[in-house]
Amino acid sequence: MKRLIPYIFLVLAVLIVARGFKQKTSDSEFNFEDFAELPVQVGGRIKPLDSVARNTLLILASRQKVETPEGKMLTPIEWFMDLTMRPEVADTYRVFKIEFPDDLGLAGLAVQGQRYYSFNELQPYFQELLSLYNEVDPEPKKRSPYEQQIVDLNGGLTLYHRVMHSLHPIRPPSGLDSLIDEYQSYEASINPGLVELRKQQAGEEYDADLLSHFINYGEDYMKLSQTAHLRVVPPPPPADPLADWKNVGIELLDRMRGGGISPYVVDYAALTMAYRAGEAEMFNQTVEQMRQRFIVDYPDDIGRVHFERLFNESQPFYISMQLYVLVFFIVCISWLRWPRELSKAASWVLIIAFLIHTFGLISRMYIQGRPPVTNLYSSAVFVGWGAVLLGAFMEKFFKNGIGGAMAALVGFSTLIIAHHLAMSGDTLEMMRAVLDSNFWLATHVVIITFGYSAMFFAGALAIIFIVLGLARKRFDKKTAKSLTSMVYGVTCFATLFSLVGTILGGIWADQSWGRFWGWDPKENGALMIVVMGAIFLHARWGGICHERGLMALAICGNIVTAWSWFGTNLLGVGLHSYGFTDSGFYWLSLFWLSQLFFIGLAYVPWRFWRSDFGAEKWHRKRRKVLIAIEASDATVNA
Amino acid sequence: MQSIIRFFSSLKLTVWLLAFSMVLIFFGTIDQVEYGIWHTQKLYFESFIVVWNYSENLPFADQFGWLRLAMPGGYTIGGLLLINLVAAHFSRFKLTWKKSGIFLVHFGLILLLVSELLTDLLSVESQMPVDEGGRSNYSFSYRDNELVFIDRSPEDHDAVHSIPTSLLKPGREVAVPNTPLSIRTIQYFPNSEIGRPKTGNAPSTPATQGAGVKMGIFATPRAVSYADDVVNTVSAYVEVIGPDGPLGVWLLSNVLDDRFPPQLVSLGEETWEVAIRLKRHYYPFQIELLDFTHEKYPGTEIPFNYSSEVIARHNDSSKTQKALIYMNHPLRFEGLTFYQSSFANQDTTSIFLVVRNPGWVLPYLSVLLMGLGMCLQFGMHFFKFLNKSKPA
Repeated sequence: MKRLIPYIFLVLAVLIVARGFKQKTSDSEFNFEDFAELPVQVGGRIKPLDSVARNTLLILASRQKVETPEGKMLTPIEWFMDLTMRPEVADTYRVFKIEFPDDLGLAGLAVQGQRYYSFNELQPYFQELLSLYNEVDPEPKKRSPYEQQIVDLNGGLTLYHRVMHSLHPIRPPSGLDSLIDEYQSYEASINPGLVELRKQQAGEEYDADLLSHFINYGEDYMKLSQTAHLRVVPPPPPADPLADWKNVGIELLDRMRGGGISPYVVDYAALTMAYRAGEAEMFNQTVEQMRQRFIVDYPDDIGRVHFERLFNESQPFYISMQLYVLVFFIVCISWLRWPRELSKAASWVLIIAFLIHTFGLISRMYIQGRPPVTNLYSSAVFVGWGAVLLGAFMEKFFKNGIGGAMAALVGFSTLIIAHHLAMSGDTLEMMRAVLDSNFWLATHVVIITFGYSAMFFAGALAIIFIVLGLARKRFDKKTAKSLTSMVYGVTCFATLFSLVGTILGGIWADQSWGRFWGWDPKENGALMIVVMGAIFLHARWGGICHERGLMALAICGNIVTAWSWFGTNLLGVGLHSYGFTDSGFYWLSLFWLSQLFFIGLAYVPWRFWRSDFGAEKWHRKRRKVLIAIEASDATVNA
Repeated sequence: MQSIIRFFSSLKLTVWLLAFSMVLIFFGTIDQVEYGIWHTQKLYFESFIVVWNYSENLPFADQFGWLRLAMPGGYTIGGLLLINLVAAHFSRFKLTWKKSGIFLVHFGLILLLVSELLTDLLSVESQMPVDEGGRSNYSFSYRDNELVFIDRSPEDHDAVHSIPTSLLKPGREVAVPNTPLSIRTIQYFPNSEIGRPKTGNAPSTPATQGAGVKMGIFATPRAVSYADDVVNTVSAYVEVIGPDGPLGVWLLSNVLDDRFPPQLVSLGEETWEVAIRLKRHYYPFQIELLDFTHEKYPGTEIPFNYSSEVIARHNDSSKTQKALIYMNHPLRFEGLTFYQSSFANQDTTSIFLVVRNPGWVLPYLSVLLMGLGMCLQFGMHFFKFLNKSKPA
């Protein structure tokens, strides 16, 4: 029976993975999946509408689902369709998250216990919000949380409005039901309108009605071209991947220079009309037609766009998060019962979690065409990945479950951090020119981030050393020794990687700015990690610190690494802003306090340590004292 | 003597110095919030001792505003580390194959510390904007200023007599090199505002000549800005003295630049233009900008690439060369390095960062040594560990 235990957990893990990767099919007649894959050019790359829908929702609501007033849950793409095609309905959905509605300064808005508000609920306060917004400090680093909330809400409303206008002009419901007619009427007005315009300019007699009909369209589409957020209209074939796509307003305006309206614009109008009328067949046909056109025009991109939607849907990092929790849970039980069987189960689940994590990492690299770390979000994903890699490696040699458990802990925590960092929108953004170097991204950035992984992993091992040493009877000298050598080994790794990474950074800086070292906060942060590693290593080699001193130093490493990774980003250099108001500062301080607490625990007197290891230290210390007393007694007696 | 050597070569000293350096780097990072990077660098890393003040921008400034923290500066810590390292090498280290990695790492470290010191002392950074189709034979500093007398009378060149603004101390008289003139500083402002008085009644001005009188403008002192993208308005009231006595007092400032008519000092037949300007470095070559390109990612304002096609025309034409300067690909020419730094005027002007750093190769060397040493050392450890861990 006991032999089955690892297999039970293995099956559980596989079930979690299978559930995550299962294609979510909706029961609707409308083909949402294919619609979600329609391409759009945003932020310099071609991506599926699905990504746009998800990222927009993350910014507005900090989550990837919408609840309708009737209590139905919508996927991001379903919400996106309602927003663009049935705006009168979407305006009733509560998608604007306001963390502290009472503090917003908009009297009468806040409803007790409600953090999500709909466009319609916010509309009466627009004037007031705008005047509050105009008083906010223009320098982001200097804003208070209250001001930041106003900026976020204002930005959210603007984004909502702009995304809504992305596929076609927004009209009252009757206008949306007849978009094709509008386009035809517009095209028919162009030539006569231009003739009348020329007459007017030449001072001749002209038909004022014809002209104003045409001018109205022009003004309207001009506004639309400034509002529409998404570039949904690719240039006519042959397609150039570096060419600008147009938004629907620009495309409509450009038709004044001749040529027909792009089939993409007409098709989006047809989609809207079909969706509003509930004609699923017509809708699905049009989507298929658009998809085929895209495949022909962009044969190199279609695969990636399709993959990106699948990646969005499967959310591999979310799956690995669940598995890491499972690993940690298994290891904790293993310390109470069935150590052998459960350790085996833990390593198996850890490997599965690691594979899924790796899949996510590689998927992002494929979609973006870049090395794994390009921004703060991806660094969080990578730090966790690196720690798990090290942990799995340690587990292979030491087989005591500790490496695995701590790897899972770091993996889980960093993925949680990544999850919260993703709220700012697209995490697959383009690299600014000076960072646009795959060579340096692949070397300097990856190595230094791996240094963070190792540093955190060593710190986590040190914490478990202290906790087990204080609380667990069976934590003996042998375990203490192997754990100490694990921390030492990982710190060696961390120091090596941080040093090499920092040095590569210096070379990169010399190549791009003409200085090897500039003392900027990020560089200093990296240097502090190297120095921390050096302190640890020298303290050990010199015999200056023993087990618990080294553990305390390794936990200091956590503090320094967190500073280097996050703290330095909070500072507004030369702006007199220390970033206290940033929510990141709050979490960083909490983390620091927790680490100081563990350092304090490390120095709890030996007699309070419940473990055999601690007891032995206590006895040895007492014996020394006794011998000293005896010796002094002896001298007195003599 | 023995105990002194033991102290200076001890690992305990190393650990303490490293710990101090960490504290220094931490405070030297957060003080950049107050003073910007450049000034903080001078305060913390290029100094022997530094005092950190509890800033009024920190919370609880009312309670802790008195707090001061003195710590050894970069030169002190770096110097002691250097002594510590060297002493340890002489007294404790034996060069064995097993220790070769450690030896290399530390030797690289010594080289790195030395190269950083050299860079601090010797490197010069300046900017050179060049218009498309245009040429330039000088670059200017964006922090240092100079007071210049320019003699335009020679036909083939201008004679420039330069005085660094650090010599402009009120009351002090300085001879202008190669001219019969000298100057006496009346007032000097490291940052100021130049303009006409806001209210009707004008304050009395020391100026008796030039723009200060003709345009009715004044210099009002302002606090020095440490922001990295701000150029301080340096200005001064300077009395020019000829062989037979004072010629008048001029208001000079680095904002009174080419946009304004030059201020002239005349003595008999001779005339000089006088000005305070950002300090210039002249070169025996010209950089000609053929083309500047600025590409963006499609559909965005995110820059994708900046590049400048240039010809460096040397007076000695055999050294003339063509180059493309772009991100991460500088031009190294005549001991100088030209980096793509910025651009202006609707993408028709390219701005280069010009760096003279005679020690630029040293970090590369030291890095090579350290990398090699670390790989050796940890490699040996690692393989030993692998062999040990293998089940017998």
